[in-house]
Amino acid sequence: MERIKVALQVNGESSVLEVRPYETLLETLRDRMDLTGAKEGCGMGACGSCTVLLDGIPTRSCIVLTAELDGAEVVTIEGLSDGTKLHTLQQSFMEKGAVQCGFCTPGMIMTAKGLLDRSLTPTREEIVRSVSSNLCRCTGYKKIVEAVEAAAVGAEEEA
Amino acid sequence: MISSKFYYRSPSDVQEAISLYQEFQGKAVYLSGGTDLIPRLKLGLQRPRAVIDLKRIRTLTETDDQGEWVRIGALVRIFNLSQNELVASFFPALKASLQATSCETLQMRGTIGGNLLQDTRCLFYNQSEFWRKSKGFCLKMGGESCNAVPGARACFANYCSDNAMALCTLSALIELAGPDGTRRLPLEDLYGGTAQNPFTLHEGEILTAILVPKRRSAGGYEKLRLRGSIDYPLLGLAFSVVDGTGKLAVGAVGARPYVAGVTQPFQESIEEAIETVLRQLRLAANAVLDPAYRKRMIPVLARRLVKKVLGEVR
Repeated sequence: MERIKVALQVNGESSVLEVRPYETLLETLRDRMDLTGAKEGCGMGACGSCTVLLDGIPTRSCIVLTAELDGAEVVTIEGLSDGTKLHTLQQSFMEKGAVQCGFCTPGMIMTAKGLLDRSLTPTREEIVRSVSSNLCRCTGYKKIVEAVEAAAVGAEEEA
Repeated sequence: MISSKFYYRSPSDVQEAISLYQEFQGKAVYLSGGTDLIPRLKLGLQRPRAVIDLKRIRTLTETDDQGEWVRIGALVRIFNLSQNELVASFFPALKASLQATSCETLQMRGTIGGNLLQDTRCLFYNQSEFWRKSKGFCLKMGGESCNAVPGARACFANYCSDNAMALCTLSALIELAGPDGTRRLPLEDLYGGTAQNPFTLHEGEILTAILVPKRRSAGGYEKLRLRGSIDYPLLGLAFSVVDGTGKLAVGAVGARPYVAGVTQPFQESIEEAIETVLRQLRLAANAVLDPAYRKRMIPVLARRLVKKVLGEVR
């Protein structure tokens, strides 16, 4: 079967891959690049635990073919911190206790990142609408929403 | 993991896409956002030889104000369309249905054309191959009879596009391009097949645009679902009033949206419209809510919707 050449930038690093047409972005990230932050939950695009930023837009990587992504830019949860300092959202999820089992957390944070990137001061309603794209079966969302609110305030102060 | 093997092509114009479809002798599928198609490939519900990605075709991704019409490219993302000012000021029912579609991140991936051309769904169909094999294949999988209504020789799968209902109430047209050229038809005429094969598309045709008459309307959308997010509709009702005449469309209750006219006084006429729709329905126990309940909720949601829309008109 054919292979498709795809130039992809992941967390700032460029690479050229040769992928099978039926390889998903989630498989590329986890199996080829060892970026296991994005999780496979349902594998059907329903739960959101595999969410990454694709050209700045939160996207479920389990239902995107890597072949579709020539020239695209991907940011995963691993690309958020600069190596020494956590991203405001990561810090805020820790401080607010917005993590329980942690499985949904990477997707949740990437969805929230997408929101904060397009709106510096989202309303509570906007935050709820955004994070309800992702399923969390432990915390009940209250602390997640609080964490995103706190991160929005923090990001605004930094800006 | 996607277990079936296929070729991938990404043409840069519609003609090239159609030629590719012919090159693969029709054993190809068109890909837009993929939020419906990729899960179906994963479940083995479809095993194409090639996937033809339409996303590099620029002309399909634009929304234009053409004076008489608003022309919406089939590959415009649902989220972007929901933010469009023309949609907000002219087509409130559509804005509401776009916002009710799935969840925000899937709206950012999914396209309006893909949403309209999503396959019909059934609890006994959208399952893994292992599950379906153990149960025995149903009509929609090429078997002898329905699994939701044992023994039935008809398919009862539901068409679950939220936006089809809103667009039907706005009398939208669709534009198709295929091997025999292009054609336009009312969106309502896209449906006509059975729930196994719900669309009247010709072989190799691509939905290129949706044309909505640019007239101010009042309207809204009511959706029955268990969770406030992500879910497909268990019922979807749209209502629009254009130039004093209304249309009600009810969906997720069979192979197509069911549309009925509503005249003034709306609160009386809606009762007839509800009756007209109910008479045509044959709901099966193939969604997560009981069919009798879903049927009973149609008048409830229809009356609520009309009241809400008329409240806004005044």
